[in-house]
Amino acid sequence: MDGKTFYITKEKLRELKKEYEELLVVEYKKSVNQEAPKILESEDLNPEFVSFQEDVGFLRARIDELKNILDHHELIKNPSKDKQGIIGLGAKVKIDVDGQKDEFVIVGTLEANPALGKISDESPVGKALLGHKIGDVVFVSSPIKIAYKIKNIKYEVS
Amino acid sequence: MDKIIKFFSEVGKLKEMPRRGWVIRDIKNPESIADHTFRVAIMAWVLAVKRNKKINLEKLLKMALVHDICEVYSGDTTPYDSVLPKDKKKRRELLKTWPRFSEAEKKRLAEKKYKKEKAGLEKLIKDLPPRLKQEIMGLWLDYERGASVEGKFFKHADRIESFLQASEYWRSNKKLPLKPYWIQAEELHDDPTLLEFIREIDKEFHKTKKPKE
Repeated sequence: MDGKTFYITKEKLRELKKEYEELLVVEYKKSVNQEAPKILESEDLNPEFVSFQEDVGFLRARIDELKNILDHHELIKNPSKDKQGIIGLGAKVKIDVDGQKDEFVIVGTLEANPALGKISDESPVGKALLGHKIGDVVFVSSPIKIAYKIKNIKYEVS
Repeated sequence: MDKIIKFFSEVGKLKEMPRRGWVIRDIKNPESIADHTFRVAIMAWVLAVKRNKKINLEKLLKMALVHDICEVYSGDTTPYDSVLPKDKKKRRELLKTWPRFSEAEKKRLAEKKYKKEKAGLEKLIKDLPPRLKQEIMGLWLDYERGASVEGKFFKHADRIESFLQASEYWRSNKKLPLKPYWIQAEELHDDPTLLEFIREIDKEFHKTKKPKE
């Protein structure tokens, strides 16, 4: 593993811990030839676990991956009041892109999901927004120059 | 065996199904879903090797093969579908921008797409042997959520294949708006190898002519 720090929310930490513990049980049951839980039939369990069950190699790799994240994580917290006007991890940012309104939450890579407005702090747009405040216009230049006007910043990390 | 033949025949339909993203942009003779699957598998493999970090290639390639098979029944979707005007002129205008939605709408659309595609996959694989069925569903769910290293990497490689295809179509038809693809790329990708690849696409395709702002 590359010693990277993973910035995650409490909710994500809970989810990953649960997955880690359950996969250890699955692995143990496989090692003693017991039937692993029928995860597909349970709507309560995280369906992502399913893919790691069929192949012991996939299962061990995922357990190692989770262990590495749990060993090298840092929780995303609300910044102190004097820094809440600046975009950092966990900030909910209202922006104007090309005259269109949008709302992003800046998250660590593990929680990024742009389809749901969760932008990775390691993406070009995430990186460019970090450290800026309301009223700033941030330009991201690929072959096309895109302007992100920051309209509002809010922190709602639980 | 007859059920397996039926499964192969159904999956084979992807060879004749054009990708909707190109259809709504009036691309002539666009690639099929199977065409996309073939190249994204090659790209994911090569880029994963270039990335040089621990990744399970067997899992990655299986994921590539199954990631869109649900579309036999669910059909292909695009982020524009819920707001796409019937009027061609208005449609062309809309396709020049990346569609933006409220937080609630983003959740609703993602959930709708997920449910539709999951149901499509369940229908497609229902008669396969249980272990295979479980593996395919697991790989798809992993990709869909970007859960593991392979799931996350492949999800991004998938977008990059479309991005490359858009750049190739743009090369022969400069009317194709590339801006939405660049916006999406800059907001989505955070893997250093894939970001480097995107910069290379820029160099390769925009040496002499930049796409329209």
